[in-house]
Amino acid sequence: MEIRFAGVTKQFPPDIVAIQDIFLTISKGEFVYLVGPTGSGKTTILRTVTRELLPTKGQVTVGDVNIRKMSSYDLAYLRRDIGVVFQDFRLLPSLTVYENIAFVQEDIGVPPADVKKRTNDVLDRLGLWRRRFLYPEQISGGEQQRAAIGRAIANSPSVLLADEPTGNLDIHTAEEIMQLLLSINASGTTVVVATHNQHIVDAYKQRVVELRKGRIVRDEKKGRYEVDGDL
Amino acid sequence: MATFRYILRDTWRLLSRHWGLSLLTLLTSVAVFFLVGVSFLFVLNTRYLVATVEGDLVVQAYVVNSPEALETVARKASTYDSVSSVRIVTSDEALERLRARLGKQAEAVSLLDENPLPPSVEIQVKRAVFASVIVRELISMPEVEDVVYAGAVVERLERISSFVARLSLVILFISMASASLVLFNTIRISAYGRKEEINTMLLVGATRNFVIFPYVFQGVILGTCGALISAVFLWFSYGFAIETLQRSLPFLDLLTDPGVILRLGAVLVSAGVAVGWICSWLAASRFIRLASRSH
Ligand SMILES: Nc1ncnc2c1ncn2[C@@H]1O[C@H](COP(=O)(O)OP(=O)(O)OP(=O)(O)O)[C@@H](O)[C@H]1O
Ligand SMILES: [Mg+2]
Repeated sequence: MEIRFAGVTKQFPPDIVAIQDIFLTISKGEFVYLVGPTGSGKTTILRTVTRELLPTKGQVTVGDVNIRKMSSYDLAYLRRDIGVVFQDFRLLPSLTVYENIAFVQEDIGVPPADVKKRTNDVLDRLGLWRRRFLYPEQISGGEQQRAAIGRAIANSPSVLLADEPTGNLDIHTAEEIMQLLLSINASGTTVVVATHNQHIVDAYKQRVVELRKGRIVRDEKKGRYEVDGDL
Repeated sequence: MATFRYILRDTWRLLSRHWGLSLLTLLTSVAVFFLVGVSFLFVLNTRYLVATVEGDLVVQAYVVNSPEALETVARKASTYDSVSSVRIVTSDEALERLRARLGKQAEAVSLLDENPLPPSVEIQVKRAVFASVIVRELISMPEVEDVVYAGAVVERLERISSFVARLSLVILFISMASASLVLFNTIRISAYGRKEEINTMLLVGATRNFVIFPYVFQGVILGTCGALISAVFLWFSYGFAIETLQRSLPFLDLLTDPGVILRLGAVLVSAGVAVGWICSWLAASRFIRLASRSH
């Protein structure tokens, strides 16, 4: 699915402008890094794609549909096709790691046998097999992050939005996660990664969209984390 | 189908997670439905009592002592729709009855050479409210010397019965309102406690109904179980109450038909389902509509 921002501005009351005049098109199957300093608007951009936030101005189009006009029912179906790794994970505290990954599939009515198979598969890929019966508060930050990634990819979505997916991981694990994201991208999923991780961005060169104070200041194919002039 | 299973499992999670709250709600709804059942039984019994007394209600018209006059009055009485039976009681018959009632002391009556008892027409009325009209008309007949009937008592009984019915309606209303409030609140609290989770579920693509239904079922289960338990309770305690009452007040004619009590139980359980469904649906759907709003 293509994601298109047409003049999107999001202002929070009273006058905090989180993003301003964003024009951005992310094609189907693309891999994009969103970079920029803290508070530059990366999370806000991702949150408008799932309509968790409604733009104050402008339009967000996902797969040819202006999501502002979607019914809540259609929106639910769109969201099932967009995997989100939240910056703060948002794992459900009352569910085990296994259940956290399983429930998004259950929400959409995947038969129990398939849920089991897929969930176990994801747990295995993310190295969480031995943690599957633990609750989020019982596992480390990095493990929680991997569980959040597992939940986002469990439904094999068309779009994967990952907000700081390597934030709590050591370099080695971060690289593993990147390999995973790239392989998901290779299978046709559009992937958008908001990140501060310079090492990753420079090591796995992809399109880079840089934000400053809510505006796009750079959009570069196979870009680096920072333009040379910034160094 | 899978979805249904997931919903049921989530319902169970809700009930067990907030088990203290669930238990409290359950107890409240048991108490409320018990109260409703008791007030229903009270109404039914007063109605039944009034009906029984009414069935025994006899208007006694004392008539001048001539067979023709007796016939006239009897014929006139039979013309009313509200009269169920008419019977002529001659002087001799009246004396017989008195003897039977007095037993030994009846000897005194035999000492009189002449039978002092007047003949009468006994009129059985279907409902007490019609009695006063008949009495008025009978008294205006020249053949009739006097009319005796226990109308005042019955009319008072009817008034009490309608008062009891109204009182019970008030009790019914108050108890249903409080049951609804408690259920509504329980569902709201348990939804509120999972605010974040509901948000997350909606963000990853759960439909509103998928999120709402566990809460609705939670409410329905609490309401239904409450009503069911109270109905069972009612069954046994009513049996016990009847037994005790009939031992101490044997003349009191009470409702003992098990069919009536079973039907009452069915009404209570349906009310439980309905109240549970409506309240929890209102609480959950409102909450989830707010939660799913984009900012
Ligand atoms: N709900 C909100 N109410 C008010 N201001 C908000 C809200 N959400 C975000 N903001 C503001 O919008 C700006 C952009 O926030 P955003 O979370 O998009 O930044 P970010 O680029 O993701 O930062 P980080 O790298 O720290 O995650 C920030 O200044 C933030 O304070
Ligand atoms: Mg952010």
